[in-house]
Amino acid sequence: MEGYSRNWFRDDKASVYNSEEKKLELKLGPPGEDGDGSSMIRHIKKEPKDKSILSLARNHFSSPSTTNKTTSQKRTAPGPVVGWPPVRSFRKNLTNGSSSKLGNESTSSDVLLKNQKRDDGNGPEKLMQPKRQGGLFVKINMHGVPIGRKADLSAHNSYQQLSFTVDKLFRGLLAAQRESSSFGEEEKPITGLLDGNGEYTLTYEDNEGDKMLVGDVPWHMFVSSVKRLRVIKTSEISSALTYGNGKQEKMRS
Amino acid sequence: MSEDDEDQSPPSDLRSQPPPCSPNKSRNCISSSSSSQTFPDHVLENVLENVLQFLDSRCDRNAASLVCKLWWKVEALTRSEVFIGNCYALSPARLTQRFKRVRSLLLKGKPRFADFNLMPPDWGANFAPWVSTMAKAYPWLEKVDLKRMFVTDDDLALLAESFPGFKELVLVCCEGFGTSGIAVVANKCRKLKVLDLIESEVTDDEVDWISCFPEDVTSLESLAFDCVEAPINFKALEGLVARSPLLRKLRLNRFVSLEEVHRLLLGAPQLTSLGTGSFSQTHQSEQEPDYAAAFRACKSVVCLSGFRELMPEYLPAILPVCANLTSLNFSYANISPDMFKPIIHNCHKLQVFWALDSICDEGLQAVAATCKELRELRIFPFDPREDSEGPVSELGLQAISEGCRKLESVLYFCQRMTNAALVAISQNCPELTVFRLCIMGRHRPDHVTGKAMDEGFGAIVKNCKKLTRLAVSGLLTDQAFRYMGEYGKLIRTLSVAFAGDSDMALRHVLEGCPKLQKLEIRDSPFGDVALRSGMHRYYNMRFVWMSACSLSMGCCKDVARAMPNLVVEVIGSDDDDENREYVETLYMYRSLDGPRKDAPQFVTIL
Repeated sequence: MEGYSRNWFRDDKASVYNSEEKKLELKLGPPGEDGDGSSMIRHIKKEPKDKSILSLARNHFSSPSTTNKTTSQKRTAPGPVVGWPPVRSFRKNLTNGSSSKLGNESTSSDVLLKNQKRDDGNGPEKLMQPKRQGGLFVKINMHGVPIGRKADLSAHNSYQQLSFTVDKLFRGLLAAQRESSSFGEEEKPITGLLDGNGEYTLTYEDNEGDKMLVGDVPWHMFVSSVKRLRVIKTSEISSALTYGNGKQEKMRS
Repeated sequence: MSEDDEDQSPPSDLRSQPPPCSPNKSRNCISSSSSSQTFPDHVLENVLENVLQFLDSRCDRNAASLVCKLWWKVEALTRSEVFIGNCYALSPARLTQRFKRVRSLLLKGKPRFADFNLMPPDWGANFAPWVSTMAKAYPWLEKVDLKRMFVTDDDLALLAESFPGFKELVLVCCEGFGTSGIAVVANKCRKLKVLDLIESEVTDDEVDWISCFPEDVTSLESLAFDCVEAPINFKALEGLVARSPLLRKLRLNRFVSLEEVHRLLLGAPQLTSLGTGSFSQTHQSEQEPDYAAAFRACKSVVCLSGFRELMPEYLPAILPVCANLTSLNFSYANISPDMFKPIIHNCHKLQVFWALDSICDEGLQAVAATCKELRELRIFPFDPREDSEGPVSELGLQAISEGCRKLESVLYFCQRMTNAALVAISQNCPELTVFRLCIMGRHRPDHVTGKAMDEGFGAIVKNCKKLTRLAVSGLLTDQAFRYMGEYGKLIRTLSVAFAGDSDMALRHVLEGCPKLQKLEIRDSPFGDVALRSGMHRYYNMRFVWMSACSLSMGCCKDVARAMPNLVVEVIGSDDDDENREYVETLYMYRSLDGPRKDAPQFVTIL
């Protein structure tokens, strides 16, 4: 193998395999997309077609090193390559001014698929989501508690379960908030979230930005349209649901 | 600034270990129920303990622990800071069984190539089992420093609840958590001194976490949140800074405007390290604040970063602090040479400099002319594509090498390089320990001679005798690797992409580099023969990564079979019949506790 120094890389343009594979190369996104950022497709997504070339190559050449070369050769065809140049995503999309601010804020979404990477402007990567296992996490904020929590809706089957989870997530936090006002108070369970009988009521914001009471629609319908959850004081239901869809409250001064 | 800093990793000892420590006996008690220890042993133990507690260096401690069982035991009792370079090299239980009094943990997870999307998400490196085990074993834990780990909000909540004396949280290149997790830490860790979020992905849970810090005076010394992509409550931040008299390091995110930084500086002139946020003014006002005056008042600032959305006309405001700067990070700012030169002209004390290639070779020449104390240079591409313009070339780097003879660490992205320049650089900078060159076009040769870059990199490994970390690029034949094997005797970390001709290349390295610890290779024609040639090394390495090479499943299985303490992960291989043999990504590492139980579906452990 040592003496074998065919300059296969030089033959890039001339190689028949090169042009073959280019036609067959799978891509997500429009042709001619540039840069490594856009091709978040993992290498292996190219495999099904490329492997046929690989086996072709194996038939033609007997020495493994040549096969090696062909393997690597197909990876070095012109066209974007995942993770090359090796620059981390937060270093890309650098701008000169404040225009990037807008782009970033609008991509901030409330429904978080578990472990979803938040690369800005990397559309093709979001297409990978169906491949991932994982939950459907929504944010939950509660009146009077500065710290929000997240819950995995895919791990729930019913509103009752969800209500139970909310209680579990916030009971301690709520008690901590109340410490100052009435000491010695034990952690009270948070009940009546769904029927209007409790001190608090569970509401949600759907994908159209509307605020609704939780519990009115069938569970699966709810799961498919919910964006985030809010636990509000029952006494403030009418005002909470009527006024403001808010734009996310930003804390800028 | 910690993007892939070098670290001292001791050899792990997979050789026989003494059994875990027997249950604690009272140290002062001479007779004990179940032990066969005699009086002299106890005295020796006490003496040893008093001596070993002064031992700080990991390497020294590892060496001491191998002397004998007693030394092992006492060293384990006195080690307060534990470094784990690969979270899957051992289980949390093993950690807590051996070391009983840990106050500080440094833990690293995913391999570096995961940063570049070469690994699917959800691969692992979960902090959860570590925090839950330590919650019971080390209630006195004070410091946690994680790199490339998956950390959830629940993990952070557990941390905040379990360690009342917790002081330092550093999360580098981590993900999986959001501002709600940060809020819990801020709120519950009352003794917090350091909260550093560095290059981590932090989801915006729309929580005002700054307001969650306790109302009274804090012990905060360092607060870094420049990577947090979420607006913050500035008023709360101002209040926090005002009641944190010990605060020295503050790194703001891009949602803090120039006017706001100005106000903070007026209230905190004692800062030594500042991340300036956006460095752009949001409102036009008639009376513009005197930014330069605010900087002038900061007599202690030695480290400056930020400039996330720089408005260049305000850059001169930092001039008053330039003369004191030892560290300057412009790597988010698209600064032209003309804007840059007046600034750098004043930075005589600069030791660490990060920037975008927008400063061009011209800017680098200006650095070379002024910054005689420079130790570390990192130049990132403004336009990180293979076929982009490339405003910097071999000229800039060579100029740096001529002007900055004390240079130790280089990370350089460019489009053009020559062997001659690399030879010159290797001769000018004998102190180089880290040399990472990324010629962005794959397989690109010397742009003057058209030859491979073998001689250039050869000179680097040959002349830079202290080199411990190397990343190569450009057109490279097996010859380059022959040089690495011959001269790279201290190399611990090697990064290879789109290089080499045959298995021999990798063999040269595996057979010639005795200190090699971390090997990461992508898209190179190395196959089974090469993999087998390294089997004598793998137990002495932290990990090997090979993706898009020419490995077969059969060979990987052979390696796994021959080396039971090696975890051999194959990631993302297709499992259709046609090419069951082909290995897309191999990631293998030694482990004391066998294969992990949390591997996702796309990982096959052989």
